[in-house]
Amino acid sequence: VEALPQALLFGILRSGLYALTALGLAISLGVIGVVNFAHGEFVMLGAFIGFWLYVLLSGVAGVGPAVSPLVILIGLPLSALALYIVAVGIFRVTLRPVLRQPELNQMLLTFGLSILLVNATSIVLSPQAKDANLAWRFDILDLGFAGVTYARLASFGVSAVLVGATYLLLARSRLGKQMRAVAQNRLGAQVVGIPIDRVYEMAFGLSAALAAAAGLMLVFQTQVSPFLGLGTILKSFSIVVLAGLGNLAGVIWASLLLGIAEQLVSQYVPNGAALRDGLFFVLIFFVLIVRPSGLRR
Amino acid sequence: VRRHLAGWAAFVVVVALLPLALSSDPYLMLLANVMLMFMTLALSWDVVARTGQLSLAHGAFFGLGAYAVAIAHRTWALPPVVGIGVAAVAVGIVALALGVVTLRLRGIYFAIATLAFAEVLRTVALQFPDLTGGTVGISMPPLFAGDRLASYYVIGTIFLLALALSLAVRWSPLHYAVSAIRANESVAQVVGVDVVRVKVALFVASAVLAALAGAFYMPFITHTDPGDAFDIGRSVAALVFPIFGGLYTSAGPVIGTILMRSLEEYLRVTPPWKEGYQVVYGLVIVVAVLFMPRGLLGLGERFGGRWPWRFSR
Repeated sequence: VEALPQALLFGILRSGLYALTALGLAISLGVIGVVNFAHGEFVMLGAFIGFWLYVLLSGVAGVGPAVSPLVILIGLPLSALALYIVAVGIFRVTLRPVLRQPELNQMLLTFGLSILLVNATSIVLSPQAKDANLAWRFDILDLGFAGVTYARLASFGVSAVLVGATYLLLARSRLGKQMRAVAQNRLGAQVVGIPIDRVYEMAFGLSAALAAAAGLMLVFQTQVSPFLGLGTILKSFSIVVLAGLGNLAGVIWASLLLGIAEQLVSQYVPNGAALRDGLFFVLIFFVLIVRPSGLRR
Repeated sequence: VRRHLAGWAAFVVVVALLPLALSSDPYLMLLANVMLMFMTLALSWDVVARTGQLSLAHGAFFGLGAYAVAIAHRTWALPPVVGIGVAAVAVGIVALALGVVTLRLRGIYFAIATLAFAEVLRTVALQFPDLTGGTVGISMPPLFAGDRLASYYVIGTIFLLALALSLAVRWSPLHYAVSAIRANESVAQVVGVDVVRVKVALFVASAVLAALAGAFYMPFITHTDPGDAFDIGRSVAALVFPIFGGLYTSAGPVIGTILMRSLEEYLRVTPPWKEGYQVVYGLVIVVAVLFMPRGLLGLGERFGGRWPWRFSR
């Protein structure tokens, strides 16, 4: 009987990182109009930055139990900045030239980038998964009706703050308004003098920075491997499809829906922990049959 | 047209006679089988690409075909040749469902749905061990007791079907419908092309061919598991080969397969590449999209326009 509030809580906590990852994908899709198949690889690179930072801090610097918060404090700006720079570079060299080409070419390009990044990482580092056994992964905070690991709480907290900040940026700042203008009407935005190339570039950088932050927080929960991008991006896709392509506001509740649904399935359906990982596909397929433009549009 | 088709007739004769030269070397014989299998996959992927769609599920159809043959063999003791037919029908139905739902929408939905489909099949195969053997996988006896020459002609026949489809789409009135869809779907619709129907029909035909290749693979290799059958690498191969050789042609996927697959054979056993050889695939896609959108054939046409053999048109 006590399991239901716990399931809901875990579901909500789970949805935090989903929202953070999917929001980046939705921004690049909404503003630039290109599906970035390499988004999961940005998450993966962020996760590796987190892992190496952990190794550095706990091994060389020997900071002891303070390592968990330090990984977040140093890692977030570091990984976000690093991936911002990488993404802007990738945008200038590869993406900008294909913006006027057919959709198939754009999709092929980002898919190619994804494969390139996965395998380059697996050659340079190692195909083996690495495990940062951060203490927060196992330390539990007792909430009375449920016990929650610090890792989950921290991931949710960081996600909530970053997602909130991103929405504020989009709603209030000049850059955010420019991004939304470009997303709504490319030509119109250009006509009123918005430098759309620059807006594209910053939107792509921002989306990669958000992915990197999500990746960094993954270090607290799972193993880090060059191949973690695929599973990540598929869930993000299902959230973006559920919200409706380009509907940024819908990302939050779509993430909540996926997170809670996954938790409920794994808790109440027999053999559910396994079925959970196929749920994203059921969602995509269901939405495409019922309301292809997103459930609330 | 006539000279073009004559070129292909000559190619088919070479393919048919090739075993005479190779049959003494088991490795080359094996490679020839595998080459034809990947050519089938590449040709079938390219047919979908001609309608402007990115399919990331061809490796999955391949895997589904493989599982279908093995399950048909185990459950009803069907001989492989009948099982291959069963696999084709089963995958055709699945592809029809997937196509009808996704192909009436923008292209990105199709790409996303096919990628998700491919990944979910792997999960499903792991979850139903009674049917699929779970992580252990599934086995079946080899085709013609492992005779590589006989199997060569089986996959050769499947390859011919794929080639026939590819050439038929190019040299029938369908070519105009397909090109119009690729250029602009709305315009194609306005001039009277039944866009969705053409896309779905070609997608299903193409998926069936990929399934046939997989249905051949299963008794050829005799054992597979979810990680192997639904390896995303095969979907990647199915699209890299045509891109490298030249998109929207029949010669491109064939040439691309021969060259890239040979390179892969080499890289796979050469450090530091090994399993990371796919990095070359990623690089080829990016470079091709940016600098050689029509692949090798496009380059050939630009720099060697006076060659007597002009397959690409």
